[in-house]
Amino acid sequence: MIETRNLVKTFRDGDVETKVLKGIDFRAENGQFIVIMGRSGSGKSTFLYQMSLLDEPTSGQIIIDGRNTHDMSAEEKILFRLTQCGYVFQDYALLPELTALENVVLPLLMQNVKNKNAYATAKEALTKVGLSHRFNNVPSHLSGGEQQRVSIARAIAHKPKILFADEPTANLDNESSKAIIAIFKELHKEGQTIIMVTHEDQYAIMAEKIIKLDDGKIVSEIKN
Amino acid sequence: MLDKLQLNIKIGFFLAYRQIRGSSFWTTSLIVFVMILTFLNLVVVSGILVGLIEGSIAAWHNQYTGDIMISNLESKDYIENSLSIISLLHTIDDIQYFSARFNKGGTLEANYKTKKENEKPNIASAQIIGIDPFAEDRLTGLSSHIVEGSYLAPGDYDKVLIGYFLLKQYLPVDSPGFTTLNNVGVGSNIRITVNGITREVTVKGILKSKVDNVSMGLYMIDSQAKGLIGRQDNNFSQIAIKLKDGVDPAKVKKELLLRGIDKNAKVQTYVDAQPKFLKDIISTFAMLGNGLSSIGLVVASITIFIVIFINAITRRKFIGILKGIGINGQAIEISYILQSMFYAFLGSVIGLFIVYLILVPLFLAYPINFPFSDGILVAPAGETLIRVALLVLSTVIAGYIPARMIVRKNTLDSILGRN
Repeated sequence: MIETRNLVKTFRDGDVETKVLKGIDFRAENGQFIVIMGRSGSGKSTFLYQMSLLDEPTSGQIIIDGRNTHDMSAEEKILFRLTQCGYVFQDYALLPELTALENVVLPLLMQNVKNKNAYATAKEALTKVGLSHRFNNVPSHLSGGEQQRVSIARAIAHKPKILFADEPTANLDNESSKAIIAIFKELHKEGQTIIMVTHEDQYAIMAEKIIKLDDGKIVSEIKN
Repeated sequence: MLDKLQLNIKIGFFLAYRQIRGSSFWTTSLIVFVMILTFLNLVVVSGILVGLIEGSIAAWHNQYTGDIMISNLESKDYIENSLSIISLLHTIDDIQYFSARFNKGGTLEANYKTKKENEKPNIASAQIIGIDPFAEDRLTGLSSHIVEGSYLAPGDYDKVLIGYFLLKQYLPVDSPGFTTLNNVGVGSNIRITVNGITREVTVKGILKSKVDNVSMGLYMIDSQAKGLIGRQDNNFSQIAIKLKDGVDPAKVKKELLLRGIDKNAKVQTYVDAQPKFLKDIISTFAMLGNGLSSIGLVVASITIFIVIFINAITRRKFIGILKGIGINGQAIEISYILQSMFYAFLGSVIGLFIVYLILVPLFLAYPINFPFSDGILVAPAGETLIRVALLVLSTVIAGYIPARMIVRKNTLDSILGRN
């Protein structure tokens, strides 16, 4: 369903060129829960950003459902991210002046879902992550774990094809992290495709497949 | 295409509303305050400059010309067949009342009794104006301009009202071409000479007005004036007419012309009768006001630009997140445009209240005392609305540019805070 072929990403700073991804071939099937691991600087987050269309690779191909994303216009990529992808970031990435409910409903409204349906769906997603009592709280009035759950609710409310998560537990305490991973497991059980970057082994073992990156290359693929 | 724009406006509104709701009260107040000041600068500066002249025009209109002025033709110094013209005026319904005046230039002399043989006479030139005191006061409120002494009564023979510009104690100007009377006050005797005929009169009152023709005139009752200036035929020099409320002076002027008055007299509305220099000053001041206002507009635009730029740059990460989760860049730009519009609109609305509910009535009640006019604040609704539109438009552009600059930045760089 999502495939990368010889994916290369190079950063240039003046005359200095840094090759972060050095030709990655990767494939994830529908409904899989894949974890990408690696030490700092191995290129795991960069790899996730390329796959999730947040960044443009230097060369290589990304094919999602048979479509080469290189052929998509900027506008099509935005629409694709809106409708087909869900994102969970390490620092939650919530809009501070919006309540939990408003943060979740915003992408739905952008998809032109009618107000009534959008709010009902957003409430459903927040309830699913255990935040039915926090609809009207702004992020600053929520704990880190609750903010990350709002972020997950925002990512899954529109039922995306792929859920991308970049170190979702890195800023959380152990208990909150377990709660977040439990939600991911539940989503996976329901058939959600998840690609998650993490450096924590205890959560990685819950995935179906673990990809290890080192120096911009896949060094191992472990099936759990 | 239209649906997409509509959706982006909806999302832009959603974001703008929440951003304003979440912003600091004091920051919002400060921005709105700048907008109010800009609006006032736009409206009040040019309004006062124009109002200064409008005040002068209003004074001419109310204190001298009335709504319509009938005066002598260039070739004559009187209006021929004045009495038949006056009979005609009585038949026109739209005319409320009028005042007919005799008018001729003369010389006033003050020190003729005390002057030694080789001493220079203290003389001043003035327009001698003969009036029916009741009719003139009803039309121009002349009695309200008495600053010393009292107004003329119908039988006040050998009594005069003198304009304060003719008296040295009020206008201490020592110019070779312009002389004033020294040591003349209420009760003083002065000598008037017109066409070689001389009369001694007593000053009954002193007039102070912002209209030069009043301030430099010498008023006496018409029955005496006509003898002095040699107009026993009762042909007046001017007839100032007050129309009933709401009547268009141009319409009555047309009617008078149709009746053939123009054969014997010049017919002008109060606008026609305005001195040309006033008309020239109005356009010059309006231009000057617009120039000064434009500077205010540029300052407001720069303020909004900086406010939105700082706002957008400090929120760059969130703009990146919005784009990252698929929110259209145009919707984000619209949210900033709507915020700019909100500030400009709120500033303008408060400014409108200040102008129309406070400043305009205040200036009407307490006009600015300029030497040649009572300055008021002129703020015609149409022009004010254009200025509101101008302010909103300039802030929209000033808000859009920085928003666009930040929205165009790479999404991932914005999310990660990379340059």
